[in-house]
Amino acid sequence: MSTPLVQCPKCQAWLLEGVFNQPELSLCPACGVLLQIEVFPALFRHINPGQGGETLVLESESSCFYHPDKRAIRHCDGCGRFLCALCDCELQGKHFCPTCLEAGKAKGKIKNLENQRTLYDNIALSLATYPLLIFYFTLVTAPVALFVAIRYWNAPRSIVRRTKVRYIAAIVLALTQVAGWSTLFVILARHQRL
Amino acid sequence: MPEKEYQRLTLARSRSAFAFAFMSRSSLWLGKDHLLCVDSSGYTETYKRFYFRDIQAISIQRTDAHHWWSGILGFPAFVFFIITIATAPKTPMAQWSGGQVAGGIILCSITGFFIMLFLMNLLFGPACKCFLRTAVQVEELPSLNRVRRAHKALARLHPLIVAVQGELNLNEISSRMQAIVRSLADTTTPVNAVSSPSIADRSQVPPVIS
Repeated sequence: MSTPLVQCPKCQAWLLEGVFNQPELSLCPACGVLLQIEVFPALFRHINPGQGGETLVLESESSCFYHPDKRAIRHCDGCGRFLCALCDCELQGKHFCPTCLEAGKAKGKIKNLENQRTLYDNIALSLATYPLLIFYFTLVTAPVALFVAIRYWNAPRSIVRRTKVRYIAAIVLALTQVAGWSTLFVILARHQRL
Repeated sequence: MPEKEYQRLTLARSRSAFAFAFMSRSSLWLGKDHLLCVDSSGYTETYKRFYFRDIQAISIQRTDAHHWWSGILGFPAFVFFIITIATAPKTPMAQWSGGQVAGGIILCSITGFFIMLFLMNLLFGPACKCFLRTAVQVEELPSLNRVRRAHKALARLHPLIVAVQGELNLNEISSRMQAIVRSLADTTTPVNAVSSPSIADRSQVPPVIS
């Protein structure tokens, strides 16, 4: 990936010209597959190698919290510790140390670092709907669906969906099932008394 | 009403052509400064962010999947259509028994179902694979599996990327590519170069990674 040349996705031949930024699909010169490739200036941008941090020369200079022999170039916007060029992680215009970055990711404070979420609303809705196919299971799954919906009501949902409609649907369905079972048990109990 | 953080670019589509349920489905969303690829298993979602400033290229490669699906869906549609016609009673519909009516409805439903899928496949148009390239990865975008859909998505994405990176004209691309090839030819010995003379001279083509 280091070379700025683009390969044909099918035959892996290096493409030089003729297929780039065309309005329609055009033939790969090597394998003849129809291709359209949009290239952008980032393809030719030179990426500077990462800095390793300068060694401390004078004792009066501030040093990195994590590397005492490296010169500090800025402080962490999260914890305020001094950082060398090696430890300085820039994200959305802010500078963090690796520890703050890891903590922010773990706690979900830095949204753009989140790469996975559990969809509790879908779990609750599935627990409330799928067992209806074998109705007897709902005796167990309806309370579980209710528990999941209430327990994770405020848990982060999908990044791209916002509503709580699945939780509400799960609660309504689960309550209906619980009410149905309760009514059945009450009727059975009355019959036994008679 | 607050502005939504992400706008839908494509609907969720399965990563595998024959995956219908309980499989990972992928969709694309447009953020303020990035493209978000959401892979959902139904109970968990994983996110991949492609920042507009980092996108180097988007490739669309046409495939034959469209023809395969036409065959896969067209054959049962044709077979059930023939069976429906062949088994239809010769008597007028008013004289059909209950069983004949039920059988007719079932066969017509199955035939209609396959014909509908077949027509939908034709309507969606040619199939393709779409790849997004950054400096460190080439990622397939499974939700862009039709050429028309990929073109629509590209039409929305292109201005956003150009707004961040600027635009490249064809002459500029050509001259930069040639310059890179020249510099590579000076420093490397080509191995297993592409035989097509229309790409470049054999001596200038970098090695092919297979």
